[in-house]
Parts: sequence; C-alpha cells; structure tokens
Amino acid sequence: MKKIFLFIFCLFIFNNSAKALVEVDITRGNLDPLPIAVSPLYVESGSVDIKQGDKIIKNVGEEISKIIEINFKRSGLFNPLKKDSFVQKPDIAHVKPRFEDWRLIKAQALVTGKVTVSEEKLRVEFRLWDVVAAKEMVALAFSTTPNNWRRVAHIISDKVYQRLTGEEGYFDTRIIYVSETGPKTQRYKKLAIMDQDGANVKYLTLGNELVLTPRFSPKNQLVTYLSYFRNLPRVYLLDIETGVQEVVGDFPGMTFAPRFSPDGEKIIMSFAKDGNSDIYTMNLKTRVVEKITDHTSIDTSPSYSPDGKYIAFNSDRSGLQQIYVMRSDGSNVKRITFGKGLYGTPVWSPRGDLIAFTKVRKGKFYIGVMRTDGSGERLLTENYYQEAPSWSPNGRVLIFYRETKADSDGKGFSAKLWSIDLTGYNERLIETETDGSDPSWSSLLSK
Amino acid sequence: MTRSIALSLVFHSVMIILTAISLPFMMRTPVDLPPILSVDLIQITDTTNIPFAAKAAKTLEKLKKEEEKRVVSEQAPPTQKKKEKPDRIPLPEDLNKEKKEIVKKKQNPEEIKDEIRQASEFEKEELFDPDQIAALIDKSKEETAETLKKDKKITQSNKKTSFASALTLSQEDALKAQIFGCWSLPLGLPYHKNLLVRIKLRLKPDGTVLRSEILDHARMNQPGQGFYKVLAESALRAIRICQPLRVPPTGYEKWKDLQLNFDANEMLKG
Amino acid sequence: MVSLTNLRKFLVVVLAGIALTACATQGKKGTNIAGDVYTGNDTVEYLATGVKDRVFFATNKSTLTTASRDTLRKQAAWMRKKSKLKFTIEGHADERGTREYNLALGERRANAVKDYLMTYGISGSRLNVISYGKERPVNSGSNPLAWSQNRRSVTVKAE
Repeated sequence: MKKIFLFIFCLFIFNNSAKALVEVDITRGNLDPLPIAVSPLYVESGSVDIKQGDKIIKNVGEEISKIIEINFKRSGLFNPLKKDSFVQKPDIAHVKPRFEDWRLIKAQALVTGKVTVSEEKLRVEFRLWDVVAAKEMVALAFSTTPNNWRRVAHIISDKVYQRLTGEEGYFDTRIIYVSETGPKTQRYKKLAIMDQDGANVKYLTLGNELVLTPRFSPKNQLVTYLSYFRNLPRVYLLDIETGVQEVVGDFPGMTFAPRFSPDGEKIIMSFAKDGNSDIYTMNLKTRVVEKITDHTSIDTSPSYSPDGKYIAFNSDRSGLQQIYVMRSDGSNVKRITFGKGLYGTPVWSPRGDLIAFTKVRKGKFYIGVMRTDGSGERLLTENYYQEAPSWSPNGRVLIFYRETKADSDGKGFSAKLWSIDLTGYNERLIETETDGSDPSWSSLLSK
Repeated sequence: MTRSIALSLVFHSVMIILTAISLPFMMRTPVDLPPILSVDLIQITDTTNIPFAAKAAKTLEKLKKEEEKRVVSEQAPPTQKKKEKPDRIPLPEDLNKEKKEIVKKKQNPEEIKDEIRQASEFEKEELFDPDQIAALIDKSKEETAETLKKDKKITQSNKKTSFASALTLSQEDALKAQIFGCWSLPLGLPYHKNLLVRIKLRLKPDGTVLRSEILDHARMNQPGQGFYKVLAESALRAIRICQPLRVPPTGYEKWKDLQLNFDANEMLKG
Repeated sequence: MVSLTNLRKFLVVVLAGIALTACATQGKKGTNIAGDVYTGNDTVEYLATGVKDRVFFATNKSTLTTASRDTLRKQAAWMRKKSKLKFTIEGHADERGTREYNLALGERRANAVKDYLMTYGISGSRLNVISYGKERPVNSGSNPLAWSQNRRSVTVKAE
C-alpha cells in the first residue's frame, strides 16, 4: 500500500514539474506500395463448381484472390505478397490468423475469406486484418449469383482499398471504348464494354458504321455515343440491357461529343449548324432542347461539374483551342487556360476539384490536370499522340488512348488504351483484344 | 519570274555574307568549365549514427587525426627556439604553463575564448619584441589548432544546453531515421489537406511502447476526414513495426514521454 | 593549319548556302506545300476534265486559298451544267488534333466550300455536308506531307 501511495505521490510531483515533452517530427516515410497478403478464399465443402459458358471454375476462392491481387498490383498502391510464402491455410487464417506468421513474411495487412457456392447462390464472407496491430479491420458478407463471381473479387478489392487508403475504390467498374481494326484509311469501329481489368468484353455494335466517343450514364444503364448510321452523324442512346438504340433529338445537322448530365436526365452535346458548332442540351424525358453557347466559334467537348452547376468546354473563340468554364445555363463564360499551346477535351473530376485535359504544344501531346480556375497546371505524360482522358469514379486514375506513328503504307499504326495515376506515376497499358480508343469509365456498379 | 530570281539572288548572297562573317565566331572552341563537384553538407557531431553518414564519420575521424598531427608539429618549434636563446630559459616554464593552460582549455570551453582574447592583447603589448612575437605566432597557431578541434565540441555542448528536448541532435536523428524506415505512407492521401497526426507515447527503458495515444482523436471519425484515420493507423503501424525504438541509453526520465509528429505533407506535395 | 580552318569555314558557308536553297518559298517549282496548304496533285481526283474534286487547308484553318477558290469556281461551273446532280461535300482534318474538335473543324471546312459554291449560283439543296474529322485520312503517313493531304474538303457526287 505504502508503495502505491509513494508511486502516486511521485507521479504528482513529476507531473507538476516543468517538463519538456520530447517532440520529434517525422516528415519522411517510404512510398513503397503497402505489403498485403491476400489469402485464397476458403471454399466451403459442399460447394459446386461454377459453370460460365463453356468454362468451369473449379476453385473460385483461389480465382477470386487472384483477381484481387491483380487489382491491387495494378493500382500501384499495394504490393500483394507471393502465395508460396503463406504459412496458414485459408480456412484457419479466416478464423484465427496467426499474426506472427504473417508478420514474418512482412505483411502489414491480410485479406481472408470464405465462399459457399450452390446452383443459384454465391455467398461470400471476407475479413481484412491489421497484421501489425493484430486486429480485425473489416468484416463483411454478401451474396450474389454464381456467374457474378468476378464482381465479388472487385467488391472486396474496393472495400479493402477504401479501408486502407481512405478513398473510395474503383475496381467494381466497367470501361466502354471503341474497338478498332483495319487499315488506317478505313478503320472498322465497334462499341465495346469490358470490366475495368479487361475481362468480360462485349461488343455493342456490329461495325457497319463509324461509332465514336461513347459515354456511360451515371447509373450505367444507358450509353450515349456518335454514330454514322446511314451516313448521318448523330448522337444516339443505347440501352445496354435491351440493346435498343435511338437517335437523340431531331437535329437537322451533325450532333456529336455527347455526355450525360450528373443527374442522368439530360444529354449535353455539340450541334453543328451551317458550319458552326454550339453546345446544346436535351432533356431525355421532356425532350426540351436548350442552346447553351451562342458563338461563331467551335464550342465542343462539354463536361459538367459533379454538382451539375458548371460546364467546362473547349472553344476556339480566342483563335485557338482553349478551355472555358461557364454556368450550366450558359452564362458567365470564363476562359481558364492561358498557357502556350492548344488545350482540349476538358473532363471535370468526380471529386470536383480538378479538370483533366489534353494539351498540344510543339508537336507533342500531353495529358494533364489543372484546378478548376485553370491554375496549378500539371502535365502527367507526354507522347507523340494521346488524348481524351476519362476519370475513374474516385477521381484518382485517368484512362486515355494513344496512337503510334505510321509510315505512308499505314504500317506501324496502332491505337491503345492507357491509364495513369493522378500523381503521374503508374502509367500502364490496358490490354484489349483489338486496338482501342475513346475510353470512358463507368461509375461504381455496386452503388 | 525574273524579279523573283533577282530578289532571291540578293537575299541568298546577303545570307551567305552574313554566315561567312558570323560562322567563324560559332566555331570558337568552347570554354573549359571546371567539373562539377557534389558537396554533401553533413551535420558534424561525435555520436551521429545516421546509417548513411557512415562515410562521413570516417572522413571526420581522418580530419581529426590530421589536426592532431598538426597541433603536435606546431608545438615542436617553440621548444627548439627556447633551447637556442639563453634569455628564454624561463620560457620552458612558460611553455609548461602554456601546456597546462592548453590542457585546461580542453576541459573548459569558455576559457578558450578568454585565452584567445588575452593572446591578442598580449600581441599588442609585446609588438616590438621579435622573439616574443615569434613565440606568440607559434602559440596562436597552437591555439587555432586547438580551437578548431574544440569548436566542434563547443557546438555540441552549446546545443546540449539550448536544446529543448532531452535528445541530442544525433539521438534525434537516429530515432527519426529509424521511424522513416518503418513508416509506409498511405499513397491515397489527399494533397491539400492537413496531414499531421501527433502520437503521444509512454516508453519503457528498452524502447518498447507502453502506451500510445493519438492526439486530435476527434478527427478520426469526422466526416470528410476519413483519411485522418488511415493516416493515424499508418503512423501507429510504423511505431509498432519499429519497436524497440532507438532511444538513448540514459536519461530515461527525460524521454520516456515521447511525442511523434507524423506529417505526410512534405513527401506527398513533392 | 590556318588554311585548314579557312577551308572549314568555306565548306560550312557553302553547305549553309545549299541548305538555304532547299527551303521552300512561294511559287517555287517542285514543292507541294505552300503556306501549310497542300498544292500538289497526288490524291486529287477529277469530277470532270480539269475539274479537281478537292481543296486543301492549313492547320486548324478553314479559309480558302486562291488556288482553292479557282478549283471551286470550276466545280461550280460544271455543277451548273449538271443541274440534276446532287453532291456531298466532305470535310476532313489531319490527325494532329483532338478527335471532337477535328469533327467540328471538318464541318467548318466543308461548309466553307458549300458557302463558296452557293455564291456561284449552286442551290444549297443540292449540297449536303458531312464531316469525317480525322477518321478517313487519304494518306496514312505520320508526316507533314501526309497531314497536308488529309486536311481537305472533297466534293462527291451523291448517290
């Protein structure tokens, strides 16, 4: 007892004395991707194999973990550790991971899970563990149909990503683009959709007419694009589920560069009348058409801010292509690019704070970002030819396309999809079956 | 047609004359620039043990050895001169005094400065005695050699007393370097926000963590500050991975309460 | 040694002179691009004898050169004779720009041609305009000559 009192007494003394708390500033760390172990998901006994078309998926738990690893690797933020160094089996790891074992292989986070597959249902349970603190960080369960097993992997990836970075993920998304084949002078173009990791490619048009610049609606059910059907270039709407296509409005001339408004109710596009291109909107329900810009210059490539209040667009009213911002009713037009060179294809970030763009200067093409007032211009990558960036739904990654040089016979020509992180790192080629261009990112499918 | 030919000829000949005049200038040999030497600025303390300063420590030791040699050699001449001049017989005693004073200087930094001042006054008074001057010159050389060696020690001791924390500069560097290596910065953090998380630790004498507390805890669950939780967790992870922390072997009472201020802004702003 | 440096100087001057003569100027024979506009006859087809089917443009521009206007006057004269025929005027752009802007530029170029033809009495109802932007180059090369040939507006007989 005496000792306790003495101890408390001493504490008081020491607390009252003027003490300099030792403060040390830690301003550096390493920017290496976070080492994370993704254990194959344990497949509950009694589960059936998944039949997908003519393929049979035997160990869906293993396949799911592979997709998660690829997602993490491609994001550049995580370093998935090699499976052959894993000590614990999937079933035990999911229930009671031995953190010392995982710490031995230098993992800082661990993903484990369990799947149960029946003919109609796929049930998934997964956990994210903080290996260093030896505690559970996330525990979730959900179910879906067996043929959606890939989406399970993407949803798990998004949840883990969000918990470890503080940002929303972007893995459960799709990309729409134009698939290209054929000689450069007569390209054969089709609309294509694929999962963000390149799987599940589906072609939406046959290639009989030229199709260009597709975009998803905010709910991802509709697609808008430019088609040269019957040699009349017009903006069309396509329902992905039903495959039904319809022309947008009844314009007596070319309409092009279409996008959806953030609430999905309007299509905004350019309409070329007597050689002059202005920006118009059409309400999909009421069919009311509004003229937004009124200038003898070319006004195109419109992009709404995420709150729908502003529109960034491309205009050459100053003589050359520059980027302007106006209110969504067309008032208060302000030029925001004043640098040397041409600026085009402005795209407003889903976060609302940045605008991505294409810049052309001295024969080189750049993809860059700037603040919405035009300041803070940052060029992320340079190439012979590249353009048309599109944001991932979390505003972190940009997807765009590049073309290569060709000789006069057209040899050497190719068009490919590329992605790059907002920081300028992690520039990546996106593999597609055919050449591709005009990519556009969907919003998260699971919202 | 002819007009254009004539104009073309005129302009071409003007161009040729201009190039003939200017080109020889362009063909002058370029100036030889001295090669660029990279200079590493290193904080000099006796016990800095930042891993990458290993080379610096070696070179510092070399420098010290060289200076010690210098000091020894400069002490030699005065003794020789004293032998030559019988008037200077008392000097060996002075020398001894000087030696003692030099020894004293090593122990008491402040006293060195007094000696230097005295030496300069001494010089002024004895200006006309050549022998005295010779002795003085030798003395000043010794003193400068000594002071050079001690300046380092002066700075170290000065910093010891003026430094608010209980860690010396080198000890702080050691701890920082250790934690730099353990901290995996979450790469998804937003740029222009407050990325400072302060963690208060109560340490055990061996450097392991007894308790940790995240200051600004309220920020953890604030909407729009989701990244703060992620940042704080990464800092905690760094501390855990780094155990036992590189703490000084003594003075536990002074550093047992340690606050680490993790600021990701420097690295992410780039 | 002195003579060697003199010889070098002389050679440099001569080479510079030769290089200068290689630079194209207005109205010189053998060059295909003048003021960034293609002036050659490669890729040109004929609607009728002496009636070229296309005109060319400078980068980012839709203005008609003197040569273009000459071509279009001939087209108009021939169209007046073939009063039953309708035409499609195609507008094209080179690949050195963003896709959507190029669509608008092609449209502007085609319309410039249509407007000019209309001032020579051709009814607008006989002239249909379509822009292909950079989608249908005639020369697949990646060089200034190819690009200049692709910056064009072509008049085609409508089916």
